[in-house]
Amino acid sequence: MTESGFTVEVDQNQYLPEGGRDISAVVTVTSAADAAGLSHGAPGGGAPADGAPASAAEIIIIDCSGSMEYPHTKIVEARAATSAAVDVVRDGVGFAVVAGTSTAWPVFPPDGSMAIANAASRAAAKQAVAGLRANGGTAIGQWLDLARRIFAAYPARLRHAILLTDGKNQHETPDQLVAAIGQCEGVFSCDCRGVGTDWEVSELRTISTALLGTVDIVPDPSGLAADFATLMENAMGKQVADVALRVWTPQHAVVRFVKQVAPAVDDLTGRRTPSGPQSGDYPTGAWGPGESRDYHVGIEVNPAGVGQEMLAARVSLVAGSPSAPEILGQGLVRAIWTDDEALSTKINSRVAHYTGQAELAEAIQDGLEARKQGDEETATAKLGRAVALAHQSGNEDTARLLAKVVDVVDVETGTVRLKKKVDDVDAMALDTRSTKTVRVKKDHA
Amino acid sequence: MTAGPLDGALGASAAAPDASVPGVTCPSCGEPVAAADSFCESCGTELTPPADSAGPPGYVAQCPVCSVDPSATPGAISAEGYCESCGRKVPTGRDHAELDLGWLAGVTDRGLGHPRNEDAMALATAETPAGPVAVAVVCDGVSTSPRPDEASLAGAQAAVRMLLTSVRRGDDPEEASLAAVRQAHLALTSLGSPDLAPSATYVSATISGDAVTVCWLGDSRAYWLAAESGGIRLTTDDSLAEEMVARGELTEAEAMASPQAHVVTRWLGADVTIPQPHVVRFEPRGPGVVLICSDGLWNYRPDAAGLAKLALPAALTDPLGAARTLLTFALEAGGMDNITVVLAPFPLSRPAT
Repeated sequence: MTESGFTVEVDQNQYLPEGGRDISAVVTVTSAADAAGLSHGAPGGGAPADGAPASAAEIIIIDCSGSMEYPHTKIVEARAATSAAVDVVRDGVGFAVVAGTSTAWPVFPPDGSMAIANAASRAAAKQAVAGLRANGGTAIGQWLDLARRIFAAYPARLRHAILLTDGKNQHETPDQLVAAIGQCEGVFSCDCRGVGTDWEVSELRTISTALLGTVDIVPDPSGLAADFATLMENAMGKQVADVALRVWTPQHAVVRFVKQVAPAVDDLTGRRTPSGPQSGDYPTGAWGPGESRDYHVGIEVNPAGVGQEMLAARVSLVAGSPSAPEILGQGLVRAIWTDDEALSTKINSRVAHYTGQAELAEAIQDGLEARKQGDEETATAKLGRAVALAHQSGNEDTARLLAKVVDVVDVETGTVRLKKKVDDVDAMALDTRSTKTVRVKKDHA
Repeated sequence: MTAGPLDGALGASAAAPDASVPGVTCPSCGEPVAAADSFCESCGTELTPPADSAGPPGYVAQCPVCSVDPSATPGAISAEGYCESCGRKVPTGRDHAELDLGWLAGVTDRGLGHPRNEDAMALATAETPAGPVAVAVVCDGVSTSPRPDEASLAGAQAAVRMLLTSVRRGDDPEEASLAAVRQAHLALTSLGSPDLAPSATYVSATISGDAVTVCWLGDSRAYWLAAESGGIRLTTDDSLAEEMVARGELTEAEAMASPQAHVVTRWLGADVTIPQPHVVRFEPRGPGVVLICSDGLWNYRPDAAGLAKLALPAALTDPLGAARTLLTFALEAGGMDNITVVLAPFPLSRPAT
């Protein structure tokens, strides 16, 4: 572990055949297990000095559309879950609760500011939440926009939200939602939860991906309180904000992709912000102690002659402001051209594994979409491929979820039949969790 | 470098070990120094520092591509040795290095089949109360481990430093050899983790007035080369091939041809908890030459008699010239691996200047 408390490790086959251009590597970033080992200030707590913002801020965004009354337990459990999350907010952290329908309004503090968490403010917040009624439409862009404005007026280092909905984004255009998401990128991170089965997985995934959070289904409203408390506990553990992967490449090289591949697949390729003539930054969000994530990086380089070596990429972990970035760790992706086929054709097991996991997520999402469109042939082929991939890679959780949607005839070849009757909950759970990956051990030298 | 400051000092040191020798001065401050001093009494400069194959002093790396391309912006060279513009690995100065300490000399070369030189060597000489001592270390980076070039250099540098300190103190050569290999192992351990362990083979020779002490792990070798007897190999490889030969499963020729010939069974690196080196003490009965080398040489001439024919008699008086001869031989035979050759005539003889 370096002084910064982060390590960056690279796993790859560095050998290319003569004329070879494509090099790829798995980059593992790990933070120190010990909270004190992370160099970036105090954890998201501690009372701020007079007038200064806290180091962390949280907003809970709760759906109060009319459908939350059907069944009535949804709004009841949503209120309870919000209260449970408020209970977990640590003393000194800024927090607010926002309610959303076809518009959005601040529930607590009612003036649209950020409260500082203590016993009194938490009690007042829970009292305000208890008075929430479900009545109105759904315009999630409006909700995000209000949260963004509250965060913007309160410059905490770590900014995180939890968003709960039970329905589709019906009362604004898709463009309005996309625009609102774009405004929020880099302002705060957001974990999204859908309760019941009337919401759209792809809609919430768009939000959670752009805002570097997670998405999941809570089929039964009674599960909300525990889930919210866990989400808030995770958020309270974060210490280092706005960490980016900085990828330097040689002149004339092309970054083919940068994907987070563990704990879940998240394609960051399109999220590049230039940070120099030959480098770009990809956001990874906030980090807490003891985290480990894997990134799959693909680079296309101009080939050099046999026997030559090139630095195909330097992957740095950076934090801090763009004007004064701090390098937390660094790893090198190398390319060496060889005429030894035994070297150039050797497959790195982790690179291969994550290539498979990314394909698995894609096969599931494509298969479920085809199934929804009534294209049984494509659905059967894609979900069959997913079954085979999940089996080969030992991704048992995903295999179990797949088995609720298809009958598996032969796991090795991925021969399946679509189940005639599939519970919506099962299809949505498979969809939301399709990006979850399993890890493999590093290749031994 | 030559043995300049020590020239003619041996006799004087035997007669009056603490006396300054007229004309022998510290290269740094110019003050007179005693013949047996390891460090200048005036400024503390080390008078006979170890030499290694890290690259010629003052070597300035330049990108071989961008520096000759008029349209390119010549980039800076990164700390890891890459061009910041085109990414090309820039020659480090290790591709070919020669060291000549007079009493012993070595050459190391990238060869023809590898992109870089992953071998390293380090040499030193010392005046001790018991007479002159020469020490040499050769490490061969394990190609399947990460950063083998860093591994071999770190190992050779750490080991020669420990050997030199120990023999100056008058430690027993076998104890000194084991202490040195432990230092080399520590240096390699700090380069990596058990999962990502830069690794290297290791061979050292400590040559004193009456004996040659050899210490090794892996398949880098030490030989005693003599004109009359032809000489003998002083080491046994820690390799699958050698183990199969030892068990009588293969002949030496079959083992050499087997794809497993170069799979080493012992090495230094962070994936090894406790290294298990071998130590051998050899007392020559007459004049000859100690050779330590990487497999880039012995692949093409594994037997001591054959190597002796190539190296002798030149090596007795011109170890650097003979080392170059052996290198040329290996290159002409194919040069598929990195090649490192160190030669030390026995008994240690100060060269004429």
